[in-house]
Amino acid sequence: MADIPVRPPAGLPALAPGWTEHSAPSGHVYYYNKETKKSTYVRPIVEIHGLQQQHAAPRPPAPQAPFGANPNIGHVNHVASNNQLNPNFQPPNFRFGGPAQEPFQNAPQHSNPRGDHRGGHRGGFNNFQDRRRQPEDKPKHRSDIPNCAPWVLVKTKLGRRFVWNKDTNESFWKFPPHVMKAVMDFDHKEREKKERREHGQPSDEEDTAMAEVEADLAAVEEEMEKQIVRVDGEVGMDDDSEYEEVEVTDDEGEEANKPPKRQRTEEPTEDQAMEMGEDDIAWQLAQMEAMEEGDFDEEDEEEGLPLTEEDCKALFKELLDDTRISPYVPWDKVLENDGLYEDERYKALPTMKARKDCFDEWARERIHYLKEQKANQQTLDPRIPYLALLHKYATPKLYWPEFRRKYKREMKDSKVTDKVKEQLYRDHIKRLGLKQPELRSDLSNLLKAQPLALLNGSTTLETLPPSILTDLRFISLPASTRDSLVGAYISTLPPAPEGAFASAEEEAEVIRKRAERGRRERALAERERRVQEDRRKQERDLAYGMGRLREEEAEIERAMKFGKDGLKGQLGS
Amino acid sequence: MPPMRTAAGRNKKPPPEGFEDIEDTLLEFQNKMKDAENASHDGKKKHEMIWPIFQITHQRSKYIYDMYYEKEAISKTLYDWLLKNGYADAMLIAKWKKQGYEKLCCVRCIQTNETNFRSTCICRVPKKTLNESQDIQCVNCGCRGCSSGD
Repeated sequence: MADIPVRPPAGLPALAPGWTEHSAPSGHVYYYNKETKKSTYVRPIVEIHGLQQQHAAPRPPAPQAPFGANPNIGHVNHVASNNQLNPNFQPPNFRFGGPAQEPFQNAPQHSNPRGDHRGGHRGGFNNFQDRRRQPEDKPKHRSDIPNCAPWVLVKTKLGRRFVWNKDTNESFWKFPPHVMKAVMDFDHKEREKKERREHGQPSDEEDTAMAEVEADLAAVEEEMEKQIVRVDGEVGMDDDSEYEEVEVTDDEGEEANKPPKRQRTEEPTEDQAMEMGEDDIAWQLAQMEAMEEGDFDEEDEEEGLPLTEEDCKALFKELLDDTRISPYVPWDKVLENDGLYEDERYKALPTMKARKDCFDEWARERIHYLKEQKANQQTLDPRIPYLALLHKYATPKLYWPEFRRKYKREMKDSKVTDKVKEQLYRDHIKRLGLKQPELRSDLSNLLKAQPLALLNGSTTLETLPPSILTDLRFISLPASTRDSLVGAYISTLPPAPEGAFASAEEEAEVIRKRAERGRRERALAERERRVQEDRRKQERDLAYGMGRLREEEAEIERAMKFGKDGLKGQLGS
Repeated sequence: MPPMRTAAGRNKKPPPEGFEDIEDTLLEFQNKMKDAENASHDGKKKHEMIWPIFQITHQRSKYIYDMYYEKEAISKTLYDWLLKNGYADAMLIAKWKKQGYEKLCCVRCIQTNETNFRSTCICRVPKKTLNESQDIQCVNCGCRGCSSGD
């Protein structure tokens, strides 16, 4: 797309000898021949006659072809008649309401007649309204055909394709046989690539991605185009019957046999550049850009991961999980949390009510889960809190009955029976009398005895396995020395082995959850990007609209300045 | 509204299990209530002074109601204990269970005996039956509308 020149290219074809270029008071560029005393808006080119009479091959919108002035306008009719005879003929389907020098019955069937009349007077002051509404074909994407060096496959906006030889500057709707083969190969590859992409492989280069989607896009556009065409037709051209046959096909073979109605009627769009000021060019650029970006947008939509309502809810719940909000707080309190609004996932749900409902749901689930966990923990190890208590308070100075009386309140909810309690206490006191190095070696023995699945590099002091916590050897040392010892030992351990999960099912579950989450987050990011694109597009549209407005104003101003005499002078010459 | 009985007073018995989960939130409500009680009355109407009191009571009751009935986060014993100790207004909660009273702001607003024409408060009137742009705030509790259809 970047190939399409948007301003009059620097390298316009050389003027035919005897012609000079001038600009009219209106700003139009015209050409004057001193010898014949003729002037024309159409750029006279040296070999134009020979080329058109024999070949009748108006240039296709070859990427580097100049669009500034269209030398073919006057000859489009010849082209039409010659077309059937000449298989090499390359119909350019590029429209624009340039100087309407063609007879009116041949005027674009699906172009607004008004536009053409106007074009006649104003020499290409095509207004953008028309241009926008009317279907227009122009080269959109070009790709080199592999193994077929100078040939380039060009796709037009309407989804048609032609080949163009870079070296000879020839182009054909009908692919020459050797090119045809290469093109087929190329298509095949493209299709494969597309399929792969559909299977979720992200494309790294946007360019190829664009090329692939282009075809689909073009198909859609074509449909729309047809409809527009139909509507326009009713506005009233005289050749309605013919009109119905106007059809946009992608078929290269048929194209040549058909009376190419479109080519007659359509001229390159790029005329704007011819007689417009800088600002026009600026917004034209914007337009082009918008078009380009538009493709990206649509591509995104096609590509975008679906974000269902469930996903949105899950996203919001994940956000709540991540912010570590207590499920016991009321909703108003949750909203005071600033981190909530900054997160992308906050916007996953559209309304505040939905968010509140989601929060309620999440809180219910979470509370349930917490309750379960608590119950689990208590059933698991009644001895753990008791041993912790012993570790904290037990001294050799107290006998068991004294200790029990003193810490009655702390031991009240302990589920451990008195007998076990006493036994543990006595053992513990006995161990406290031992020497430090002995206790240390005991502790390290205990730690070494743990399987790697339970105790590994990812364990922390808070998540030690119950087999350690319920062991007397663990509480024999004072907390400070013990914790540093355990911490040092843990840091030497390798990370958790892969099969550390209790069962394969659990592991699969965890993996599945992680994948789900990743997918949802990607989808959200995708959606966010689309929204951004939309916003940008809207802004651009606005800018474009402003540009148009300015242009119209300028046009009016010019029209005011441009007196009748000047016009007469122009026409008379 | 009877004052809330706290553990600091004569009631030394610890609250039932699960109280610690909601304790922070309840403390916050308590602080808010204290602030509302001690707020200055400068430039306020007489009845305006008690609005925040009603509002906080409503919020706290709603919170406990949600915790017990909607989220099932607290046990029956704890719920009863909370009601007994005045953390929530049992009368108000009783009304919320009735159809049409799901959002009732305070019990005073449905006391027909206290009004001149044996009617409920203006805040009980659905928004759609009110005139456009009629902005109401009831005298009892500062409610702006609590009909369940709104």
